[in-house]
Amino acid sequence: MKLIQQDGKSFLFHISKREKGLLFEVLKLYPLIPIAHHRVCQTAAAPRAAESQKLLESALADRTRENKRQLLAMLKQEARLQEADGAHRLTLSAPQMEWLLQVLNDIRVGSWLILGEPNEKKGKPIELNDENARYYAAMEFCGLFQMMLIDAFQRPS
Amino acid sequence: MRTKTILTLAEIEIRPVLEYFPGMAETVEPAVLPDIEKEEQTGAQSELEPGYLVICWDDPVNLMDYVTHVFQVVFGWPKPKAEFHMLQVHNQGKSVLTRESIERAEHYVHQLQSYSLHATMEREA
Repeated sequence: MKLIQQDGKSFLFHISKREKGLLFEVLKLYPLIPIAHHRVCQTAAAPRAAESQKLLESALADRTRENKRQLLAMLKQEARLQEADGAHRLTLSAPQMEWLLQVLNDIRVGSWLILGEPNEKKGKPIELNDENARYYAAMEFCGLFQMMLIDAFQRPS
Repeated sequence: MRTKTILTLAEIEIRPVLEYFPGMAETVEPAVLPDIEKEEQTGAQSELEPGYLVICWDDPVNLMDYVTHVFQVVFGWPKPKAEFHMLQVHNQGKSVLTRESIERAEHYVHQLQSYSLHATMEREA
């Protein structure tokens, strides 16, 4: 996946058939983070903690629903991907890029949770098996796509 | 002999005002007094004060460039400031991003968590 051009508002990417297939397969995993994983406060005893937590979960549930709706629309909208020279051209607006970043990071963090929250700093390596291996792959692919999107944001138009 | 009619300034100031308006009715107490209600507050003072810290915590999964990007988007910070806080998260385990009222702090936590960052709000000690 490579940025071809951008004007600050819309971004045109070249994406190979294999990358496109991979991206779409990974996106089908969304959402992976359970809503209850998000905590608004570290301590439950904090003032208004229960109320704030409820508010956060409700807001995130709404956002997840909306992201899922947009995602399904994107997966169906083949026109967004124009075939050219045996590959594809993917056009995304700046808000769509932000949205895609959120979706990809949900899959990345959700995969990490499924993998048992491995942490090399704390000597907790990834323990792969037949069941969780695909989540390891999803975590790494999401990171790769995220870096490409962030890199595109930082490129001067 | 002419009666003295010109008063000194001191005399004017001490004469009752009504003496100049002899036909004016006296002020009477209104029959119906207006209700005096204390305006209802929308929140406790402590909730409106910027006493809530928005904190981002370190985790081994969020990419450094991604965290920097999110700080730039959510807070509108320039890249050097966003990077400073990202490195603080990475090296010290957490970074206090801002101090706000409870509503604003909640707003920022919602924004950061929609990007799946590990962010919380804590009351300032």
